[in-house]
Amino acid sequence: MSFDVLELAFFGLLTVGIVSAAIGVVLANRITTAALLMAFTFLNVAGMFVLLGAETIAAFQVLIYVGAITVLILYGVMFTPQNPRAYALFFQRQTPWAALFVAPIGIFVAVYSLSFRDTATGTKGHDLEPLATSVFRDFGFPFEIASVLLLAAMIGAIVLVRREED
Amino acid sequence: MPTVPLGWFVGVSAVLFFIGTAGVLMRRNAVVILMCVELMLNAANLALVAFSRRSASIDERGSVFVVFIFVIAAAEVAVGLAIILSAYRNQPTVDVDEMHRMKG
Repeated sequence: MSFDVLELAFFGLLTVGIVSAAIGVVLANRITTAALLMAFTFLNVAGMFVLLGAETIAAFQVLIYVGAITVLILYGVMFTPQNPRAYALFFQRQTPWAALFVAPIGIFVAVYSLSFRDTATGTKGHDLEPLATSVFRDFGFPFEIASVLLLAAMIGAIVLVRREED
Repeated sequence: MPTVPLGWFVGVSAVLFFIGTAGVLMRRNAVVILMCVELMLNAANLALVAFSRRSASIDERGSVFVVFIFVIAAAEVAVGLAIILSAYRNQPTVDVDEMHRMKG
């Protein structure tokens, strides 16, 4: 079926976008470049959500991550200087130990993700209604907690950046 | 030709998480570290949505967790940037190696 080949091609394109833009975030010398590449990574992850049939989450991703968080981070970039010494040491003394611990995890994840061959179930494009039912019926109390957390974070951010003499 | 297996999404998510971790450990600029933490949170979101597509249940529990992670990420960025800015006001640097005023 041609649609499935198209989906596979879309997946490959998104994967290349995610991985290269994320590596760009880590390696970019200018912080503004890193922030814009981060927004690009978020856009590609939103594309992944669409592929998985979670269109509502993809819309939230574009609105919150690409819209709000990137703008907030760009404000942070604007208010702070760029330091000349951007990186820590690449190869430190603990590199062998780190590799020793990371390699088994990496091998496990690779084997696991390659052996996990289920495909996405459920009809695509109808995730808003189950999501809303879940949030407001089964997770109503955590939802209220989350809104209080947002309010607390907002007040905390205002208090933290307020000048003392005002 | 079947559709894309869910494990591939988990693999992409793992790669994104590794890259974010490497960024947190390698970069010394506090704002860039915040960005890399966001990348790691996004990798977790991708894995959660991928796993929630595995069962054919009606509810969307994985997506609900993703919504909560959105909330946490927004709060984290707001408070994190506020902390970075107030630390920068006290000591004009965003290099986390030079932020050692609170070290005992």
